[in-house]
Amino acid sequence: MRDAYIVTAVRTPGCKSARGTFKDTRPEDLLSFIVSAAVERTPNIEKKDVEDFAIGCAFPEAEQGLNIGRVGAQIAGFPDETSGFTINRLCSSGLEAIAGATLRVRAGWSEIVIAGGVESMTMVPMAGNLPRPHPEYSKIHAALWGNMGNTAETVATRYNISRQAQDEFAYKSHMKATEALNKKLFKEIVPTPAVKYVMQKDGTYKKETFIIDYDDGIRPETTVEGLAKLRAVFSVGGTVTAGNSSQTTDAAGAAVIMSEDKVKELGIKPLAKVKCYTTVGCRADEMGVGPKYAIPKLLKIAGVDLKEVGLFEINEAFASQALYCIQELGIDMAKVNIHGGAIALGHPLGATGAKLTATLLSNMREKGVKYGVESMCVGGGMGAAALFELCD
Amino acid sequence: MSRKIRTVAVIGSGVMGGGIAALIASAGIKTLLLDIVPFNLTDDQKKDPKERNKIVKAGFDSIIKSRPPQLMHKKDADLISIGNLEDDFDKLASCDWIVEVVLENIKIKRDLFAKIEKVRKKGSVVSSNTSGIPLKSMSEGLSDDFKQHFMGIHFFNPVRYMKLLEIIPGQETLPEVLGFMTAFGEKILGKGIVIAKDTPNFIGNRIGVQTMIKSMQLMMEDGLMIHEVDALLGPAIGRPSTAIFKTSDMIGLDTVGHVSKNTYDLVVNDEERDSFIIPDFINKMIEKKLFGNKVKAGFYKTDVTPDKKKVKKVINHKTLEYEEYGKPDFACLAGAKKAKTLSDKLKAIVYADDKGAKYVWKVIANGLIYAAKRIPEISDTIIEIDNSMKWGYNYEMGPFETWDAIGVQDSVEKMEKEGFTVPANVKDMLASGVSSFYKKENGKIFYYDFSSKGYCEYVVSSSIISLAGLKANGKIVKDCKSASLIDLGDGVFCCEFHTKMNALNNEVIDFINESLDYVDQNGAGLVIGNQAGVFSAGADLVPVGAMTKEKKFDEIDAMLERIQQAVQRERYSSFPVVAAPFGLTLGGGCEVCLGADRMVVHSELYMGLVEIGVGLIPSGGGCLNLWKKFVSTIPEASTKGIDLAKYFIPAFMAISSAKVSTSAADARAIGFLGPNDRIVFNRDYLIGEAKNEVLKMLADGYTPPAKRKLTVFGDAAQGMVNVEMLNMSNGKFVSEYDAFLAKRIGFVISGGDARSNSQIDEEIILKLERTAFIDFLKEEKTLARIDHMLSTGKPLRN
Repeated sequence: MRDAYIVTAVRTPGCKSARGTFKDTRPEDLLSFIVSAAVERTPNIEKKDVEDFAIGCAFPEAEQGLNIGRVGAQIAGFPDETSGFTINRLCSSGLEAIAGATLRVRAGWSEIVIAGGVESMTMVPMAGNLPRPHPEYSKIHAALWGNMGNTAETVATRYNISRQAQDEFAYKSHMKATEALNKKLFKEIVPTPAVKYVMQKDGTYKKETFIIDYDDGIRPETTVEGLAKLRAVFSVGGTVTAGNSSQTTDAAGAAVIMSEDKVKELGIKPLAKVKCYTTVGCRADEMGVGPKYAIPKLLKIAGVDLKEVGLFEINEAFASQALYCIQELGIDMAKVNIHGGAIALGHPLGATGAKLTATLLSNMREKGVKYGVESMCVGGGMGAAALFELCD
Repeated sequence: MSRKIRTVAVIGSGVMGGGIAALIASAGIKTLLLDIVPFNLTDDQKKDPKERNKIVKAGFDSIIKSRPPQLMHKKDADLISIGNLEDDFDKLASCDWIVEVVLENIKIKRDLFAKIEKVRKKGSVVSSNTSGIPLKSMSEGLSDDFKQHFMGIHFFNPVRYMKLLEIIPGQETLPEVLGFMTAFGEKILGKGIVIAKDTPNFIGNRIGVQTMIKSMQLMMEDGLMIHEVDALLGPAIGRPSTAIFKTSDMIGLDTVGHVSKNTYDLVVNDEERDSFIIPDFINKMIEKKLFGNKVKAGFYKTDVTPDKKKVKKVINHKTLEYEEYGKPDFACLAGAKKAKTLSDKLKAIVYADDKGAKYVWKVIANGLIYAAKRIPEISDTIIEIDNSMKWGYNYEMGPFETWDAIGVQDSVEKMEKEGFTVPANVKDMLASGVSSFYKKENGKIFYYDFSSKGYCEYVVSSSIISLAGLKANGKIVKDCKSASLIDLGDGVFCCEFHTKMNALNNEVIDFINESLDYVDQNGAGLVIGNQAGVFSAGADLVPVGAMTKEKKFDEIDAMLERIQQAVQRERYSSFPVVAAPFGLTLGGGCEVCLGADRMVVHSELYMGLVEIGVGLIPSGGGCLNLWKKFVSTIPEASTKGIDLAKYFIPAFMAISSAKVSTSAADARAIGFLGPNDRIVFNRDYLIGEAKNEVLKMLADGYTPPAKRKLTVFGDAAQGMVNVEMLNMSNGKFVSEYDAFLAKRIGFVISGGDARSNSQIDEEIILKLERTAFIDFLKEEKTLARIDHMLSTGKPLRN
């Protein structure tokens, strides 16, 4: 098969749901902005050159329903000929989109595809607007629909991840993010318009737009002591708190996937390629362990040794599960989430895969790292992982 | 001019001011809360509006945080705006009532009133919450219009919960204004009004403080200990369990010290002036800052041992050391425990001769004599004094009712034998052949009036219906041991329960059905209400437990069916049925109300379907009717395809977590009250207002609702509940058994295995209620919960 490359990978800032900067910005607007930005940042292509959109979204309904892959392309001004679809594997949806688009291009079925993800957790709540677990099967296996916080508690108790270790992990996430923010290292972020309802003099409201260029959930002032004071939210006497869990977030990310032939034809210097992608299932009640199984499987298929991997983006759904997976795999902590993870930067579900890809590729280029791994746990009991190889 | 109270200003945001503002806002009236700008601001801070409002903001915040809550619902805080006395003073110009609750300092108050006079609009009412400063001295030199609209309006703490409101007219207060504020206080704020004279501490605190300090002095004389006094002067004699010293700990010893000192200074001619001097050991405690609850150490304190056990201690007034204490052992208390009525309890104590009895006798005798001697100094009649002590100090009986209870003749003889000086007015009364302060005739209450030397009728507001009065006047049309049907007039009847805690038993259930029959034949409408301490604590579990032990499940099913029949008939009978709950309205009591066409409720309503606490499910139509309350408000235009989960979840949570409302406003927020149910602030008005509601429904042309199918959430609920219960039990928020019960409750409310958003017969839910109830009774853990509740009065979480 021919190669397919990621030539551009960008993201919007991640902003806290309900209280953050994007709380009044529609997900279609986040998506249409970031795909347009991706085209603008890719030399020698125009919107009409993009054949299809593969967009990950964890709860593709209501504001982000009716196939947001197509809606986003239309709002962004892509021509009717550019098709689009939505894809869902909950928290790995964005990565699933990038991997799937890569395969399609490699197969020769397309030349240029935009893959990405979007989620407004403000507008569509986790579990969706109309959760309806199966009446009979939920008697046998309710954990399939259970809340994610409980799975984090299960991981913490089942594998002895202490409260203190979780809080320290969370603290470090914020500190790394703070440093990266101060040093302006989030080069993958495109300053994005946000909507605000502004009260006018006569008491009516008007929508106004302003630009946001940073992740608004980072807490530079946080301390381990402060985190230690927070109450466990999911369990009486538990260890998982709002402070050592990921933030719920609104964001979008996008990558331009281009065939080897097209790259040559347009004279584009590609960024990286998806070398391998895999998923694996695990018990639903401890879904957070997913990366522990997905990463070894990935590296085995790719024939790459863990030691050869220079950088990791392991989604911090919860400190307990992220820490457990990192420890179990014996990954050098210095290589993981070097600019902070979802505890500081947010976890916009379906957008997370695309968001982490943009971050990982930016960091790989910055550090000159050949192999990078992105991985996350997935609700219902799964892990997903992708191996990226930086282009010379 | 039609006088209206649209906006009220409360000046002073301390505990009392905050409490008053909270009550007025809870009654739905816009309230402006003002306090001073802090004295010690820097030049920069002086420009900062936040700094300038710092004191009043702190007062506002403590209203929000107060426990028990002063506001009836959090949302009521929206009606309170805050400001300071410099920047916002002009806003008083738009206020209809200005309440002064500032420091008890004559100069501060006079200066404030002089300033208010300049901005207030003519005709606005100005009142002072002072408890000691003569009104005359406060309004001296102000305009006639001010004086005509000025009076003392004295609230008691905690404002929301204490019924007493003393209103003290000044010499120039217009009768029209006084009458308006009396009616306003009674109807809108729900208080019991006592018109008092402008004498030091008015009525409640004059008598109350004298009793408190005198009891302390007598303790020293008799060599009793603090916890012994509290045991003797509490519920055994019909007074609150906090008695003397626990009450002082609540008020604060510093405040008790100030109040007694102030009173002593003011009551120069009081023959008992010395009884306002606190014993010296209390002064020492005040020096040591042992103020009571606010510093967690007063007459009592609770130590926590290293292994987190609480040890209750009481101070020894001789050594000022805290000591552990147990239940005091007095023969008279044992005697009182055997007595059934309060009157018998009192007699059992005051005429006994152990050390405790002798002490109580002295306290009571002294108090009775003191009260009698205060007429006509502080009030013209005994009514004001008795009401003040009942409403302001939570006495079950006021002094003169107590005197009647222990026998006026006998007690006076005992007093004289022991050298007490019995007041002339009482002796004259006895000499004239009258031997009780009160008498009842034809359902009316008469009191002995010292000035006319004869009985006068005790006349209350025409909005108040007394069921006891009607019953005494032969208005019972039907009755049994557990309930009565009383003719309220105009074709309206009241079904009154009168079991212990108004628990529902077989007899009550049958009686409701019979009452419905009676009204159908002979009446126009029915009120379900009573005037006991609680509306109803729920079904009587004793017979349920007994029938279960004998496995008489068919009988239980039949009993449940009869309750359901009664509840359904409330709704579908040909006449209006209005329930009038107040206070505790739990379980079956709540179900009886939910079944009614409408509710007229007291603002203090603690309503809940708490059956899960005893391992059961509401089976008197509670599941059905709560769900109906939720979905009946959805306009038909919106029902198709609506997300019923939004309705199901709160209804399910209310029952599965045994939610009990903290007020009527909260009951509305939970969903127990619908848009047609009405909240009344004065509990004494409740039966009358419920009757009015029946009459209004009749006047509007009442026809019973047609019985239609009910939209249910169906089996989609099961998936949601299964998952939610997994989350809750994994998180240890509920026990496994709670989760088991809750799943079945969800099943019943949602109509069982019905298609989602389909319409089913109401009877299906009723049948599901009964089957679930009986299935639960076959579970060991439910039986354990019932046994535990019957033996301890508390729910068991197994």
